[in-house]
Amino acid sequence: MRGPNQTETNGTPVTAEPGYRSGASAARESELIAKIARGDRRAFEELYNLYHRRLARFLTRLTRRYDVAEEVINDTFWIVWKKAADFRGDSQPSTWILGIAYRRARNAFRSAARAGSQENLDVLLEPPTSDEPMRTEELRDWLVQALVQLPVEQRLAVELCYELGYSCEEISAIMGCPVNTVKTRLFHARAKLQKLLPVLGGSSPPTETRGGK
Amino acid sequence: MIAFHERNRHEEVWLLLPWLATGRLSATEREIAEEHVRQCSTCEQELAVQHLMGKAFTEPDRVTYAPGPSFRKLMDRIDSEEGKEPARRPRTQPSLVARLSHVSLWRPPGLAWAASFLLLFGITGMMVQAYRWSQPIYRTHSDQTPELSVLQVALDRNIPIGEVEELLQKGGARIVQGPDATGVLGVTPVGVDTKSSAKQLRALAARLRTDPRVLWVQPLADEGTPAEQRAPDALEH
Repeated sequence: MRGPNQTETNGTPVTAEPGYRSGASAARESELIAKIARGDRRAFEELYNLYHRRLARFLTRLTRRYDVAEEVINDTFWIVWKKAADFRGDSQPSTWILGIAYRRARNAFRSAARAGSQENLDVLLEPPTSDEPMRTEELRDWLVQALVQLPVEQRLAVELCYELGYSCEEISAIMGCPVNTVKTRLFHARAKLQKLLPVLGGSSPPTETRGGK
Repeated sequence: MIAFHERNRHEEVWLLLPWLATGRLSATEREIAEEHVRQCSTCEQELAVQHLMGKAFTEPDRVTYAPGPSFRKLMDRIDSEEGKEPARRPRTQPSLVARLSHVSLWRPPGLAWAASFLLLFGITGMMVQAYRWSQPIYRTHSDQTPELSVLQVALDRNIPIGEVEELLQKGGARIVQGPDATGVLGVTPVGVDTKSSAKQLRALAARLRTDPRVLWVQPLADEGTPAEQRAPDALEH
């Protein structure tokens, strides 16, 4: 599903944000947030551009609708604009912003679920069997579709871990839950994905976990 | 005991495998996990799956996202919520009359006008009512403008009715009004049908005043003819 602001890259590899978790990047983002708190619109635009692609990709995969993803992104940055003065640097800027995005996305999912707007979300491709060789690209497409079968909290944990590369502790801060809950959510998500996609089901997970939900 | 410890370690590492694959474990956790994976074929196999998943999720998209239009939408929203006017909109200087028209002294709000009128009417009404209350609640015979062709006559209350008729007959008068609650009679000269002349009335009044049983006759002698007289200020007994 392609939104109005998406363009083909014509096969040009788009590298993942290499430095967005680095110390230099975090310092720059903190500096931008301080400027935003003083009403600096240029700083706001710079921060928005830093996060837009990351969030658009993350949220479009989850919602499979760019318009919903864009709404969540803009809601997130509207809060960043309003609350920048409240950011004290207790956490990484990315953790703070992703935490806001996570809560907005969760609310959007719940609203969509109440409205029953689950169109196109339940249609899955026929999963390939473990006998068929699978390209990474195909696996990615399939995983994106399989994600919608997961509860929203597990879906978000998967994206935060695999795509955005956050540590367990960072995901815990973003989702506002204990570390063990994050581990458990990911444990159940992995089990379900492996059940849905045999090519991932190389081994059986332990029957029990010690992490609390 | 050793088996129990290893089972716990296996479960613990199994939960950490996604972060081992993405390189987001702490040094201590990484050391423990890698040591276990080297000895556990199940975890080794699962780690390969986790690498595959991590690679799949970080695979570049075939599409990219342009932030410009979304950012403009956001700024429009922020501007509208902060009540800012778009910078492109020119502001014209209002004329002097237009500026003065905004001064409350020149054009008070309609409600203030309405309130002022209501207050004015109220005060006027109260003043009228206060004047009425200041006036005496009784009326005198002199308050009424007498009918100019009739004489008002007050007789001694102790004389009988037959005597009244005799007195009036003797004076050449006949009753045309009354008596009212105070016993005052309206009389005209006998033989005159409708309107008596001033001379006839004056003559009749003079005749009646000569009788001691007549207390007063109006108009009074010094007021001239009824046609000329004005309402007297008080009764005369």
